[in-house]
Amino acid sequence: MSSFVGAIGDVLSSDAAYISAISFAALLGFGAVGEWVAEKSGTLNISIEAMLLAGAFAAAVGYDLTSNLAVGAVFGIVAGMAVASAQAELSHRLPADQFVVGLALNILVLGLAGFLDGELEPVTRRAPRVEIPLLSDIPLVGDAFFGQPWLLYLVYAFVPMAWWLVYRTRWGLEVRAAGENPQSADVSGIRVNLRRRQSIYVAGLTSGLGGAYLSLALVGSFEDSIVGGRGFIAIAAVIFGGWTLRGTVAGCLLFGSVLSFRLSLPVLGYNLNNELLTSLPFIATIVGMALFAHRVRPPAALARPFIRGLQ
Amino acid sequence: MTDGLLAGTGVTAPVPAVSLEGITKRFGAIVACDAVDLDLHRGRIHGVLGENGAGKSTLMKMMIGLVFPDDGAIFVDGIRCYITDPQVAAGHGIAMVHQHFSLVDPLTVWENIALGDGGRLDPGDVRERVGEISEHYGLAIDPDARVGDLPAGLRQRVEIIKCLRRDPDILIFDEPTSVLTPEESVQLFDSLRRVVTDEGRAVALVSHKLDEIIQATDDVTIMRQGVVVDRLRTVDADTPMLARSMVGRPVSLRSERAAFGVLDPSVEGPDEPAAPITAEEPVLRVVDAVVHGRHGQASLDGFSLDVRPGEIVGVAGVEDNGQAELADVLSSLVTLQRGHVEVDATTVAAGRPGAMARAGVAVIPADRHDSGIVLDMTVAENLILVDPKRMARAGVLDSDLVRNLALRLIDEFEIQCWGPDAPLWSLSGGNQQRVVLARELSHQPKVLVAAQPTRGLDVGAIEYMTERLRRAAEDGVGVVLISSELEEILDLSHRIVVMSRGRVIGEMGRADVDRDRLALMLGGRAA
Repeated sequence: MSSFVGAIGDVLSSDAAYISAISFAALLGFGAVGEWVAEKSGTLNISIEAMLLAGAFAAAVGYDLTSNLAVGAVFGIVAGMAVASAQAELSHRLPADQFVVGLALNILVLGLAGFLDGELEPVTRRAPRVEIPLLSDIPLVGDAFFGQPWLLYLVYAFVPMAWWLVYRTRWGLEVRAAGENPQSADVSGIRVNLRRRQSIYVAGLTSGLGGAYLSLALVGSFEDSIVGGRGFIAIAAVIFGGWTLRGTVAGCLLFGSVLSFRLSLPVLGYNLNNELLTSLPFIATIVGMALFAHRVRPPAALARPFIRGLQ
Repeated sequence: MTDGLLAGTGVTAPVPAVSLEGITKRFGAIVACDAVDLDLHRGRIHGVLGENGAGKSTLMKMMIGLVFPDDGAIFVDGIRCYITDPQVAAGHGIAMVHQHFSLVDPLTVWENIALGDGGRLDPGDVRERVGEISEHYGLAIDPDARVGDLPAGLRQRVEIIKCLRRDPDILIFDEPTSVLTPEESVQLFDSLRRVVTDEGRAVALVSHKLDEIIQATDDVTIMRQGVVVDRLRTVDADTPMLARSMVGRPVSLRSERAAFGVLDPSVEGPDEPAAPITAEEPVLRVVDAVVHGRHGQASLDGFSLDVRPGEIVGVAGVEDNGQAELADVLSSLVTLQRGHVEVDATTVAAGRPGAMARAGVAVIPADRHDSGIVLDMTVAENLILVDPKRMARAGVLDSDLVRNLALRLIDEFEIQCWGPDAPLWSLSGGNQQRVVLARELSHQPKVLVAAQPTRGLDVGAIEYMTERLRRAAEDGVGVVLISSELEEILDLSHRIVVMSRGRVIGEMGRADVDRDRLALMLGGRAA
């Protein structure tokens, strides 16, 4: 027990622990911000996993071809959007079930990435850190937040942008209406399924970039197990956060920290069973959901397909 | 009758604001509208009268682009238009105040009003415009209130402002008074009259209530089974004649008053108001029930009710004042936060699935498609759905037993279908409702809860339903009739309680009903 308390103390006072916690939280953040927009529109988009993986692989290929991080990031975005287009067009233009489509995409992209990885074998390396002057000098957490590869900083921009988009623009108003009451939105002259498709594309964009961040900045190489279920943790972060953006960010920080224990604890000299550490974030997710899921109100039409004229 | 009181000036513009010619719409084998012609003129309120299912709503939906006609043409100011979606309709100056479907609860008033506009979102500008409109028409509203928190009357106000904001030439109202108190209805028709006479707009008022049509309209078109059967000036019309035209046969307004929404004193009352039931202990007691809704507000807020055997208690009230929650409690669908329910002086564990049914409470749910029946199962299966155990031996259904029960109930309740194996979707609405009724009554219940039992039914089916409820009471069942149709309550009940904001705010015996007092109470004021 005392060693457990000691471990917590060590983690809380270690720069390295903060760095890896924020690194993982950012990965979740990329996925979760897009997922949050998609869920606000009424889609429970479970293909975040596939979007992250496709983005990670495409970014690695793009970087291998050009040795340019920005090009890698663009490749990642394109791949994320490609998965989004399959999800959006199949489930919100054709009447395919959004979960079946998402499940199929997750499995398909996993197989495809494994195969293409063997064929192309993209070579990458970890992106350099970019220190933001002054801010990165903050003791303990400065490097974690402001001494990271520049790809991570994009998530700082995405969060306020997503909030502004959803709460301050007409597009966002229509997205919220589509997620709460698609019949009313339709009656008011809003193209519900168009807004839902667009929201999935937003998820594809942020997750594709999240994938690029994962393979080019967080890990520095690609393998097909690189995402490893973390896309689902990003979805859990949205639910944990009660479909508010603030809560979603808190969920990413919490789950990101737990994810990072697998790296930070051994470094600090605590040798816990590796499999146990790997499963810890999922346990935390389940506990978090059990504690908070009943207190929050999802968008009323979440996961309900909308077909015109059927009321 | 108040004919002439509100009637228009009789000036008719040469070109109608909207003209429908030969509009036809089919849904599968059903013809919802069959070659319908309709002209709406500026400065006039045009009533569209018909029973449920007569095709009025479908016709209106075609005018605003929610449904596209199979045949026929729509002319706006004499020019042919193809109205493919609500935006196109708005472009032609046609707007509709919907009965239920156009507001988004979690959004604020101004956000709802801005929904469907184009261009940049400018909250300040929208709020200002809302202020102008509400002042101009006397429709006061707080633009920053959450729509989900507003009572029905104010929600409708939001709908109307949302419509007027686009400055439409043609306004369509679909059953606008179904969610209003009598007082709010009068207010609504006052502002409608203003919109029409002062500003020369055209209004279509869709209704199945005769009184409303007589009071508020200038012209009336009557539809029956998708066809226009009559059109006339409202000044030339009277209630019996409209009723006959709407149903297609002479009707006795005395006995079918409830079906027509007639409150006219000249066709007053059942032959003798049902005598109050004084005898015996209550068979059902609801004591101080509290239920919280999803947003934490109290849906039932200390509700108490006693029902004696053989008594029909009418629970009156404007919709969304806790009636649905009361029915849910008596269907074991929700758990009480406080209070309890007794059947025959035994407390029943509310909220445990099936507990109420086992205790002898039968329920005819308000939305039979939601909770009463399974459309894809057969008539026989639906008939045993509540308690399949009785039909089974060691968990295996006894098909002979099921079949015999089904045949007996089909015969007894005159359910029109081609047999026990007919899928329920192949039955008409009225017959589906009979299946629910047959199932619930076949358990020899002690208490029968009927929630909006006649909604969506035609006059014949309504007659049958009310007769059955009466007979159940005569057999000693305690009947709780929850209805937002005041006429239905007055027609059937021995005793009337008025529900507002989740509690009973007044009670009166059928014999000493005072309409003014009742109207006040429906508006939420204890009187």
